[in-house]
Amino acid sequence: MSEFVIQTRGLVKEYRGRKAVDQLNLEIKHGEIYGFLGPNGAGKTTTIRMLLGLVKPTKGAIRILGKDLQKEKLSILGKVGSLVEYPSYYGHLNATENLEAIRRILDAPKSRIAEVLDIVSLTKEAKRPVKGFSLGMKQRLGIASALLGNPELLILDEPTNGLDPSGIQEIRELIKTMPEQHGITVLVSSHLLSEVELMATKVGIIREGRMVFQDTIERLRRQAETGIRLSVSAPEQALAAAQEKGYDGVIDGAFLNFTKLHNKDVAVLVRHLVENHHDIYRVEEQKKSLEEIFMRIVGEGAAS
Amino acid sequence: MASFAKVLSSERLKMSKTNMWILVIMSPIVSSLVGILSNIPEDHKSWGVLLMYMASVHAMLFLPILPGVFAAFICRYEHVGGGWKQILALPVKRSSLYIAKFTVVAGMLAVSQLLFTAVYLGIGFMRGFTAPIPWELIATSILGGWIATLPLAALQLTASLVWTSFAAPLALNVIFTLPNMLVANSERFAPYYPWVQPMLTMLSASSEDFGAFNLPLSQIMTIVVSSFVVFFVAGLVLIGRKEV
Repeated sequence: MSEFVIQTRGLVKEYRGRKAVDQLNLEIKHGEIYGFLGPNGAGKTTTIRMLLGLVKPTKGAIRILGKDLQKEKLSILGKVGSLVEYPSYYGHLNATENLEAIRRILDAPKSRIAEVLDIVSLTKEAKRPVKGFSLGMKQRLGIASALLGNPELLILDEPTNGLDPSGIQEIRELIKTMPEQHGITVLVSSHLLSEVELMATKVGIIREGRMVFQDTIERLRRQAETGIRLSVSAPEQALAAAQEKGYDGVIDGAFLNFTKLHNKDVAVLVRHLVENHHDIYRVEEQKKSLEEIFMRIVGEGAAS
Repeated sequence: MASFAKVLSSERLKMSKTNMWILVIMSPIVSSLVGILSNIPEDHKSWGVLLMYMASVHAMLFLPILPGVFAAFICRYEHVGGGWKQILALPVKRSSLYIAKFTVVAGMLAVSQLLFTAVYLGIGFMRGFTAPIPWELIATSILGGWIATLPLAALQLTASLVWTSFAAPLALNVIFTLPNMLVANSERFAPYYPWVQPMLTMLSASSEDFGAFNLPLSQIMTIVVSSFVVFFVAGLVLIGRKEV
């Protein structure tokens, strides 16, 4: 139980009878960068808000850093740094004062302000009012605030939202250093797989409030390599022939697509088609991109 | 309460960098103009009458409106910059946050009252008053007036917390302040109307015999204190339940 930094059991949040989050079991281990993925409105932010005690779960239990969130909320929050949705800031204060307002509550040493400003490379802008900051700078200030209390766990909700590619890259590099250099476990949410795939060690994919995939990014990649695509002379008749042998495929134009075929199955299928006088022009292994896998996982059930 | 002191110093920092001080000194300035320009008859020259003149605008308009403005502003930076999520995800008791914000609002109102007192005494001496400084009057009227703004401060702070809007509670506050003069005439309703309570308290000391002004101070104070408790507890409960 205590090996998890975050663990939820049967987490449910209902808004007027609609389940925004449904039976969610999150499991995040120490030192991981956990990519929390899902389309907009899937329940990521609601989950994160529950993890931070901003909203109360309708049902279920949350344990963070080995403690029950409901019972020991303040002691947990003291060890968690967070950035929820868009960055929070006091526009009329400069960057240092913004951090000072938070530092006073956290009771962190004064020197920490300069340290976190340096980590997010805002030292030069420290004395400018934050209302004049670009979105990327505000985002970095948000991360600086999250780091201020030397957290053991960093929860970042869409930290790259609205950033340009170089800003995204910068934040990604920053996040990647957290576990190694600072021993911080990171939960980072996004609606784009491409944003987290380069930094996450583990991903959880949420759809309509339910967890549909939770494993390492390698496992997700492995799912990508299972498709076989045949280019044949008469797809419809070929499909019928394949079905005789128990292989169910999908017609895609002049192609037949099969999933979950082992080498032996491919051999049997091809021989069967040839024996039935089908011309086979091409046998391809279909490597779906991770993004396609993600879209498929996320898209399933959307039609039903 | 170590945690409360920290939250309070954080709130003070946020407010110290605003232009709120203009509002704090505005009412004493307006009141001093009234005090300088008003034509008090020779045979009525007394501390009591001067207070009645100077406190009229201050207690009727400023004292009910200022708590709303201060409360709205102290929540504004959380509303505008998405600060609620940030501050409530910090290791802070929600009740400490509410009490800290309330303390800052009450503190600014106290500063305004103190400045008013200074201006009041200054103008009294300027007009050549020879009677000793009316400490009892200051205690009942000015200190009492400050206490009478606290229910409003709690009510407005609660409204500003619940509404994710800066302007709505502010506008409502002004709307409820406008009929003050009418409400004050009603002996039955006035003591229960939070927007007129500061005026009743400040002016009841200087004897004006109409409407609710001749009610005993103790009766008004009882209502003030109990409505303060109701609004303050409501605020504590609501911030505890606030979902952000």
